[in-house]
Amino acid sequence: MVLEVKNITKRFGGITALKNISFTIQQGEIYGLIGPNGAGKTTMFNCITNIVEPTEGEIFFNGEKITKLKPYKITEKGICRTYQNIRLFPQMTALQNVMVGGHSRISAGVFRSVIRTKSQKQEEKLLKEKSEELLELVGLGQLKDQFAENLAYGQQRRLEIARALASNPTLLLLDEPAAGMNETETDNLFDLIKKIQSMGITVLIIEHDMSLVMRLCDRITVLNFGEKLAEGTPDEIQNNEAVIEAYLGKEEEETIA
Amino acid sequence: MLGELLNPYYLQVLCFILINIMLALSIYVPLSSGQLSLGSAGFMGIGAYTSALLTIHYELPLYVTILVGALLAGVIGIIVGIPSLRLTGVYLAIATLGFGEVIRVLFVNWESLTKGSVGLTGIPQLGRELLKFAKSIGIEPSALGLKNNQFVYLSLVIVLLIIVLFILWFVIRQQNSRIGRAYSSIQMDEKAAESMGINITYYKVLAFAQGAFIAGLAGALFAHTIGYISPSDFSYHRAVEILIFTVFGGSEVIIGSVFGATILTLLPEVLRFVSDYRYIFYGIMLVILMAVRPQGILDLYLFYRLKGKRIKRGTS
Repeated sequence: MVLEVKNITKRFGGITALKNISFTIQQGEIYGLIGPNGAGKTTMFNCITNIVEPTEGEIFFNGEKITKLKPYKITEKGICRTYQNIRLFPQMTALQNVMVGGHSRISAGVFRSVIRTKSQKQEEKLLKEKSEELLELVGLGQLKDQFAENLAYGQQRRLEIARALASNPTLLLLDEPAAGMNETETDNLFDLIKKIQSMGITVLIIEHDMSLVMRLCDRITVLNFGEKLAEGTPDEIQNNEAVIEAYLGKEEEETIA
Repeated sequence: MLGELLNPYYLQVLCFILINIMLALSIYVPLSSGQLSLGSAGFMGIGAYTSALLTIHYELPLYVTILVGALLAGVIGIIVGIPSLRLTGVYLAIATLGFGEVIRVLFVNWESLTKGSVGLTGIPQLGRELLKFAKSIGIEPSALGLKNNQFVYLSLVIVLLIIVLFILWFVIRQQNSRIGRAYSSIQMDEKAAESMGINITYYKVLAFAQGAFIAGLAGALFAHTIGYISPSDFSYHRAVEILIFTVFGGSEVIIGSVFGATILTLLPEVLRFVSDYRYIFYGIMLVILMAVRPQGILDLYLFYRLKGKRIKRGTS
């Protein structure tokens, strides 16, 4: 079991964003988190990475409690995320962005960085090579010297994934990676996430693109108004009446409109 | 021959340029981690008074007192830096400006130690100490074709230049490393930086303290360059002047600070022919610059283009 979310509740003032949510993710899975807007999916991500602290409940990562850890410590443990609204470092090149992601995997302090000791040069070189490989993986090898702000939208999304991968995560959290992508880009994203899975990385994904989620995920949890509506394989979810009523039905109406 | 060219006045202007470059860097370093600190004048004062008092009362060698002054400023930088972590942007600027005023008022009122607003006189001058040292090891300025006071200023310029080059070397190397990437990522998006595994508390306090150290060092060198300091040297005016060096030159790149400090120290000297009106020109120039080029004269894109990389400025 990679991640165990246990009875997580998050309240913002009087609003309950998450109500007693539990689920577990197994090693090597692609796990989907779906639900209508405002269901609490991103809040769940924020609780896992402790950007917002859950009001109640606990989260275990590889058996270790991470609920009270600082966000950077959680990244060191091996959880890294992307953001729904892209949060790259705009005036850094693509390569620099990815190298920032590797921050917790190298160790040089001020002294070693300024003196440029042998070990520091070595770790910088390895990180650079690895970052370039990751850029190749997400298909941005040619654009490594471009500033992040000058990349196209879909490229920025992929750059964020490469940056997160640079931290060597065992669990990768993707927050709506297909948002704003066309069909070809979504297909490429599907292949990319499958490749990430084959690298032994467990993936937790929030996504609105149902066909992508259903093709991609091994198991899915559905949230609605902060509550867990259902959990199961894509087939089970697709045939779950509560889900159809609360979510999939609504999606169809939207498509017609 | 060499002696003819070395006008002590020019050399002194050069000294101030070098000290001002250090001060501009003391703002640049915290700014590179996204912290707009206007405390440089305060930290400069701490370095200046510490070193001056130590030399006056204890006759310690200058290289010791200057270092102690800078270190004390750095330590106070850590102490001020930690509570300031909660503040960002203009709020941090106001708080650090307030800190600078507290320090200045402390110098004015702690008369038993600082002689109040009269200031400290008779601070040993670094150039004269260097002259004494040179003579003690048997180097006579006249042997180099220099008058005593030319030697004093020339040696001072050389020492300051070495220190500035060292700081530049240090900051540039730091910038192109894990530390520098952490600073820039915090500057560009603090939350994202934190979720990339960066301990933002540590790096923000580190950058703040480094800035304070550099300002303290510049202050101590300032005291031993002019030999007389008073609290008004470290007022709000100074804080703003230092900020302008960095903003004018371009706060995105380190060379901007060097450029800004150099031009803006020279400008009032060059404009001496318009005498009393020179600060009007100075002001007008700043207004025009901020309207036309708010990012400063030198920016990141210019820098990349000079390095031969083809990059366009984005919309943001």
